[in-house]
Amino acid sequence: MLPSGVFFTDHAAEAGLLRTLPQRLWLAALLAALVLLPLVAGAHLIGLLTMLCITAIAVLGLQITTGMAGQVNLGQSAFVGAGAFVAARLALAGLPLPLVLPLAGLAAAAGSVAFALPAMRVKGFYLALTTLAAQVMFPILIIRLPAAWFGGADGLGVDPPTVAGIRLGGATAMYLLCLGVLVVMATAAFNVGRSRAGRAFRAMRDNDNAARVLGIDPLRTKLAAFFAGAFFAGVAGALYAYQVRYVTTEQFTLWQSVWYVGMLLVGGMTQPLGAILGTLFVTLLQEMLRSAGGALLDADVGLQGGAIFAATNVLLGSVILAGLIFEPRGLAHRWGLVVAAYRIWPYPHR
Amino acid sequence: MSAVLDVSGLTLGFGQVVALSDVAMTVQAGEIVSLIGPNGAGKSSLLNCLSGFYRPQRGRILFAGRDITALPPHRRAAAGLGRTFQGLQTYDSMTVRENVLSGMHVHMRAGLLDAMLYWPRARQEEARFTELAEEIIAFLELEELRHAPVGALSYGLRKRTDLGRALGLRPELLLLDEPMAGMNAEEKADLARFILDIRDARGIPVVLVEHDMDVVMDISDRVMVLEWGRVIADGAPDAVRGDPRVISAYLGQA
Ligand SMILES: Nc1ncnc2c1ncn2[C@@H]1O[C@H](COP(=O)(O)OP(=O)(O)OP(=O)(O)O)[C@@H](O)[C@H]1O
Ligand SMILES: [Mg+2]
Repeated sequence: MLPSGVFFTDHAAEAGLLRTLPQRLWLAALLAALVLLPLVAGAHLIGLLTMLCITAIAVLGLQITTGMAGQVNLGQSAFVGAGAFVAARLALAGLPLPLVLPLAGLAAAAGSVAFALPAMRVKGFYLALTTLAAQVMFPILIIRLPAAWFGGADGLGVDPPTVAGIRLGGATAMYLLCLGVLVVMATAAFNVGRSRAGRAFRAMRDNDNAARVLGIDPLRTKLAAFFAGAFFAGVAGALYAYQVRYVTTEQFTLWQSVWYVGMLLVGGMTQPLGAILGTLFVTLLQEMLRSAGGALLDADVGLQGGAIFAATNVLLGSVILAGLIFEPRGLAHRWGLVVAAYRIWPYPHR
Repeated sequence: MSAVLDVSGLTLGFGQVVALSDVAMTVQAGEIVSLIGPNGAGKSSLLNCLSGFYRPQRGRILFAGRDITALPPHRRAAAGLGRTFQGLQTYDSMTVRENVLSGMHVHMRAGLLDAMLYWPRARQEEARFTELAEEIIAFLELEELRHAPVGALSYGLRKRTDLGRALGLRPELLLLDEPMAGMNAEEKADLARFILDIRDARGIPVVLVEHDMDVVMDISDRVMVLEWGRVIADGAPDAVRGDPRVISAYLGQA
């Protein structure tokens, strides 16, 4: 919904992502604040936000595959891993970051197609199983491949990236890099949503018979949805490799894939904004519970570490479930309602 | 001049059930052909064979002179065969305009890279097709609702959106399966007018499956009657109305 008084005389202008001046100003202010944050924030917060940006990119990809196109994917973490290993390998070979990021994305995308292709005739539950297979196969594949390729069970170490000859070694530099890539990838995800490919994805999710009758090739479209989503995962994986400086198969687990799905569900499947809000919400919650658990452990109230860890996970799961029950359409939907209420205030009946 | 659609010997069975047996059918340019028959006569099965959802055991389908019998549905659509379904089959999460634009899929070129970058090439294509979609929206008098999510609209408006989406394909033949079922008299009259306009202004021939005899007799150039998967009559509305086999088929049902 647009604020009153805003209307368009030209259909093309209407398609803009940011359609009003206040929208542009708010976003600019937010980005400026995020860029300036390292001046005041501590190393821990900056590290957390860097990881948050990386995770958000992976969840944005999942939003395309699962949210837009309706293809269940329980292997997103494996695709992040594929990107991370390929990035580490390419970085070791001396390639610069501006080349490594897209190549890692393409490698993960190609891998996802290899897994999705045999699963094209199945839907729903069975497709979920195939993506699960990708997740299970991933560590086996990396470990079985010659150690000279991806380091086998030992994994690979990664040097800090260089961009245009400048070495991005520090935490602040990595934060700004990941933030910048997130902005680019989020824009790309929003763009997909308003273009031919995004409409084909949603058409197939909403009604695949109708989509076929309108000339949408179901096979191509599903593969494209996996390709696009895994491309995001691969880019996220490359950033992860640079940030953590070390990749091993244990970092890319089924649990992480499930978390990605949880974040998307909490944020709202149907729009890219949901991916960002969901990642933000779940990551901050995880962090709060982690520090609360740590405090409990330090206070030595007689609870054991294992019990605290289990309790925080149960609590986290319950909060996510409660969120899904009270707002099944996710935080992004709730956010839309708030914005709409603000615009029609003080006349709630528009 | 050759027929837009030329079907011969079409035979389709589901196990013991014979849905279609040796059906022949032609549609000429600019014609509105209605397909009628009692419930279970095979009308939807015939449309499903035409659009590629069902594979007939025998028979041949020529569309614009080309044999499409073996093509999957999306290739037939790309060849210019448009259709709407029985019931509601819109994309409910999309707006009216997005539904119409998605109907233009085969005419647009933008790929995944264009979608992500949304650079001038993609932007211009999007703008160009948005104007075309707006023409269809204006034709169907849906301007006020262009940004409304289709899932929230009334039955009649959703069926109209469905039609708009099919027009987005710029079909050379349009198949409509019971577009008026469940509509009130006013909605039916509106839709009948749109169907006539589609034929007159856009020159698109129409195959219409419909139960409402008044509408059928009013707007059809030709009426085909199916019973138990066989064509029992095919001719001008007046001739078919008086055909004793048709009368008995319908009386037998009632
Ligand atoms: N997918 C299917 N599997 C099995 N039998 C089918 C299938 N589709 C249609 N049939 C059978 O084929 C026959 C023709 O059905 P069809 O749906 O084509 O009739 P119709 O003329 O469209 O009827 P209605 O007016 O009720 O829509 C029926 O006996 C039906 O039960
Ligand atoms: Mg039917």
